[in-house]
Amino acid sequence: MLDRTPEFPLPPVREVGLSQKFRTSSGGLIDRRRARDFTFDGRTLTGYHGDTLASALLANGVRLVGRSFKYHRPRGILSAGSEEPNALVELRSGARREPNTRATMAELYEGLEATSQNRWPSLAVDALSVNALLSPVFAAGFYYKTFMWPAALWEKLYEPMIRRAAGLGRAADAPDPDTYEHAHAHCDVLVIGGGPAGLSAALSAGRSGARVILVDEDFCLGGRLLAERREIDGLSGPEWVAQAVAELESLPEVRLLPRTTLFGVYDHGAYGAVERVSDHVAVPAPHAPRQRLWRIVAKRAVLAAGAIERPHVFGGNDRPGVMLAGAVRTYLNRYGVLPGAAPALFTSSDDGWRTVADIAAAGGRVAAVVDSRPDVPVPLRRMAEAAGAQVVAGGQVIGTRGHLALSGIDVRDSYGGTLHIACDTLAMANGWNPVVHLDSHLSRRPVWDEAIHGFVPGQLPTGMVAAGAASGRLTLADALESGSRLGAEAAEACGFDAKAAGTPRTDPESTAHTPLWRVAKPKGKAFVDFQNDVAASDVELAHREGFRAVELLKRYTTLGMATDQGKTSNLAGLSIMAELTGQPIPAVGTTVFRPPFTPVAIGAFAGHHRGKEFRATRHVPSHAWCLENNAQFLETGLWLRPAYFPRAGETDWLQTVVREVETVRSKVGLCDVSTFGKIDIQGRDALAFIERVCANPFGTLKVGRSRYALLLREDGFVLDDGTVSRLADNHFVMTASTANAARVMQHLEFCRQWLWPELDVQMVSVSEQWAQYAVAGPRSRDVLTRIVDPGFDLSNEAFPFLGAAEITVGGGIPARLFRISFSGELAYEIAVPAAYGDAAWRAIMAAGLPYGICPYGAEALSVMRIEKGHAAGAEINGQTTARDLALGGMLAKKKDYVGRLMKERPALIDPDRPILVGFRPVDPSQRLRAGAHFLAVGAEPSLAADEGYMTSVAFSPSLGHWVGLGLIRRGAERHGERVRAYDPVRGGDVEVEICNAAFVDPAGERMHG
Amino acid sequence: MAEHATLWRPRGAWDLYAHAGRHGRSEGPAGVTATPREGLALMSVTAVDGAEERLAAALRDRFGLSLPEPGGALFSGETGLIWSGPGQWLALAPTRGDLDGFGETLKGLAAVADQSDGRAVLRLSGPDARRVLEKGVSVDLHPRAFGPGHTAVTAVAHIGVQLWQRDDAPTYEIAVARSFAGSLWSWLEEAAAEFGCEVRVA
Amino acid sequence: MRIRCPYCGERDNGEFSYLGDAAPVRPDGMEASPQAMHDYVYLRDNRAGEIRELWYHGAGCRAWLVVTRDTRTHTVADVQPARDVAKARAVTPAGSASHA
Repeated sequence: MLDRTPEFPLPPVREVGLSQKFRTSSGGLIDRRRARDFTFDGRTLTGYHGDTLASALLANGVRLVGRSFKYHRPRGILSAGSEEPNALVELRSGARREPNTRATMAELYEGLEATSQNRWPSLAVDALSVNALLSPVFAAGFYYKTFMWPAALWEKLYEPMIRRAAGLGRAADAPDPDTYEHAHAHCDVLVIGGGPAGLSAALSAGRSGARVILVDEDFCLGGRLLAERREIDGLSGPEWVAQAVAELESLPEVRLLPRTTLFGVYDHGAYGAVERVSDHVAVPAPHAPRQRLWRIVAKRAVLAAGAIERPHVFGGNDRPGVMLAGAVRTYLNRYGVLPGAAPALFTSSDDGWRTVADIAAAGGRVAAVVDSRPDVPVPLRRMAEAAGAQVVAGGQVIGTRGHLALSGIDVRDSYGGTLHIACDTLAMANGWNPVVHLDSHLSRRPVWDEAIHGFVPGQLPTGMVAAGAASGRLTLADALESGSRLGAEAAEACGFDAKAAGTPRTDPESTAHTPLWRVAKPKGKAFVDFQNDVAASDVELAHREGFRAVELLKRYTTLGMATDQGKTSNLAGLSIMAELTGQPIPAVGTTVFRPPFTPVAIGAFAGHHRGKEFRATRHVPSHAWCLENNAQFLETGLWLRPAYFPRAGETDWLQTVVREVETVRSKVGLCDVSTFGKIDIQGRDALAFIERVCANPFGTLKVGRSRYALLLREDGFVLDDGTVSRLADNHFVMTASTANAARVMQHLEFCRQWLWPELDVQMVSVSEQWAQYAVAGPRSRDVLTRIVDPGFDLSNEAFPFLGAAEITVGGGIPARLFRISFSGELAYEIAVPAAYGDAAWRAIMAAGLPYGICPYGAEALSVMRIEKGHAAGAEINGQTTARDLALGGMLAKKKDYVGRLMKERPALIDPDRPILVGFRPVDPSQRLRAGAHFLAVGAEPSLAADEGYMTSVAFSPSLGHWVGLGLIRRGAERHGERVRAYDPVRGGDVEVEICNAAFVDPAGERMHG
Repeated sequence: MAEHATLWRPRGAWDLYAHAGRHGRSEGPAGVTATPREGLALMSVTAVDGAEERLAAALRDRFGLSLPEPGGALFSGETGLIWSGPGQWLALAPTRGDLDGFGETLKGLAAVADQSDGRAVLRLSGPDARRVLEKGVSVDLHPRAFGPGHTAVTAVAHIGVQLWQRDDAPTYEIAVARSFAGSLWSWLEEAAAEFGCEVRVA
Repeated sequence: MRIRCPYCGERDNGEFSYLGDAAPVRPDGMEASPQAMHDYVYLRDNRAGEIRELWYHGAGCRAWLVVTRDTRTHTVADVQPARDVAKARAVTPAGSASHA
């Protein structure tokens, strides 16, 4: 009918054998010329294009489809839709195996593989069905009561045991070979559901020119019109649907999304939906995703999600062969499958009798009709009797017979007598529940509607209206009328001139219904929630034990949990609790539904973002050179930074890093530091702004100079550090650390826009504009002399430590040069436009060749900063103040700045607070470890004895032993003292000496040279 | 200097990622064409407080374009002004160096910062260009909501981008921070595969 | 959730990051008492109902915004550029933070 997936060559048309013995000879919306072979538990069966797995199984007489969650009871197919609690199978195999797939929703394709789940060793013989014999033990609250003690047994014994016995299918153990993607859509009117109400809404909205999206979880649009024998203006249901769909497809602003489940309703007109693009083929077509996650934004929405039929609660109501009456009609009318040779009906409503009429019309016989209502209209009775049925008015089905499939029912008649009726299928009709899930996703509770004895939408999410059965209007005429009217109103609200179509003429129908919430004195377990094996007796138990509130009832019994979320069970459970507590059902209330409406694969949420694409990766300007030169990379935030550059013969990363450090300290090295944030700050008040955001003073910073910059948070802790360089009177560039660049930008924007809007400051990130490289080491000046264009004086006098200049390189390319040093050596940072970053890197490497230059990575950079005692991410961790980092001396006294007052809080200036110092192992051969805690020598390890911890460690090539930085109480006054660095997790217990954090060149002479 | 001319060549932001040729679906005409736009001149222009009107006049003199409103992008040929934030615009010209000295021209009216190398710009065109972008862009790109002359600063696949539409083909241009070009490209390749993507590299 | 940025139009909340109540005004750090600064940094009302709060359009135009939102329903009644709100506040004596 509507197939938007790529077309595949169809298998040749062929005659089909007689295997499909429950298939009617004609009729239905399946394509009998296109046979589809599939397997169930390894057995090859045949169905047709247009079948679901469920309809094909029923056509082949397969009724036992799975085992139940807790008792491993045999289960069949209850429904024909997404509410299915029983018929969950594993679909496909190998890496594409997907557990808990509803057979009722799985579209049949050639070669489909399905496997029953939750059974061992086989579906027919299930060893764990012994659980059923122990069912009194497995009653509600069983897990809570039984596995409470001793707790030690939980992980080793109870949980594995429960998992083996219960659970719902197996996930694939190999990575999913298929792709998933995201897409965004916007519309004026979103129509949720493609039945008569939804199609009518889409038509009247679409005709006005409004942008309309219609989603339906089914692969065919039409809803119940495909499943019932109805007439609209003289057309059959499917004919009317075909006409409506054809018109909708002709409207350019209407987008139809079948196979798409609207799973979530979010604030302000945002919706989530998942489209099963390729689930109906064995392997997705080239370049097609398996599923697509839609984020839809709609100005208005028409909820036309229909209704779900209610089962009856009686003994053995879970036996394969017991089905919803509407599902029986769906299989018959849509799929040409009469699920049994001797069907019976148990009804409490007039619409149930349609089942009898449809079976008779298909030439079938009906074994019995049991109507719980005493008065049955004569015409209905006559029709049933003509179909061969024994009619029991005022009767109730109290039990079922059969083992793996239904063979008969026990009926209590209106006089209290019981009779046995042989049948192989029992259709249950007990009224319909509007699908109120989606409209309650925003915590709006549904309300009770006495007319239909069910919950209907209460206050709907803003912009949403409900039409048709979803609103409690259960007749076809009402669905068409309300859909058409509400679709037009929705389009009008979006500014379109829309008119509702005239109401079409439909054949008459009756919605007369007297609900039968449960059968009294059932024979055997009467299930309320099939999926969770919750019986009426469990609700009684919950009541006896005081778990009477709906939320407690749900959690105590697991009623309404798992993959179906109680679509067929919630009201039954509530009605029994209402009866037990002597309240009306609405007084008991209902739980609220949350997204998703039906389960959504994690892959759909992940979309493109898996494996290497889990998150974005940023590349440095020298990336190409790094790739060519065997760089080993390190992820820092989103950045992929070169970590070190091994040379032939180097076998260990430390060996490489030591060589890189030694080269920088003795000759010269080149490091890509482009990852730092760079913020261009201009304007009349730029300096005033910098003064307010930085904790150290800047008033004396001259043009052409750089200065270390320390930023605090308002609570007094250090936010980040970097540099500020003054390029012109009112032009500055601030750097921020790689990890904090975005956070610092956000903070500065906050200060500029919110704290001090009166300041005239223009600020923009130029992080990506500039490739910035550190050229460090005693020969760095020699190298740069060959890089900067002639005319710029690099001498120490002309361009001293902390100089900053706008220069040119390569014959006129603008560049910036800063004399700043992270390594402690004579060093520069040179910035060139990023497009020239690759060229600059290669030029510097070439210029440095005579001086023995080597590239160095983030590891060597880190070793050298630890050797110099510079704080970095491990120390600036959100818990340290400037004082903690031994930076208190640089704080400005005469200006206000962010964090000025709060850093003076008593606890933050407590002399006992840990402060940053250096640590060296007393035995130089011993290795230090970051994370080790400091204890007094000889002290028993305890929280009270803890004096601080090691933040960073490195093997110092310059000193030939490990060095560390750490925070320890009163560290500044304890140089020379020995403490234990205690690290029980990794077996570390090293005696260390507290020392100056600057291990190399403590006077800082080298960088000034 | 002669040695500089050979050594100091700019490298395209998409060099490592965008390879010329047909990608994804190979049958039929490509649904989308991707063209890396290298060598553009791109400057961020941030208005000095209270100087917006004088700035607009100066830019009108220079480009013959008015200062676009929020969400607007105005072009005269390949030169354009693109709104990029409150009080902030991107000035775009086809060749590196076209906007040299721009900062001096606008002195006192706006802060100018060169972004020519900071943004990797990609042109996406073709009948399926919008469908490709819709996979990543949460902004409504329907012609009723977004068309030539519109720009949006937003995110694609969690990567910050700015895009603007040039014509009804439709042709879009999407600017991303240079370091993210590889990741954006990877997203684009996957998103465009079903439509067939022709990559044109100058 | 969707927020209508005054510059960019309606956008998904994933483009924004949240800060909190927009009511506290930063006292001048040279004049304020530690207690006043403490209250500014830490004290927040947690109202059920309409609240004016600060959001940052980080994945968009980088504007800080004052969003008037009902915490019970998420209904957003108003969104204004924070800088405009702050400028208006600066000329209103009652709420003035006076950063001379």
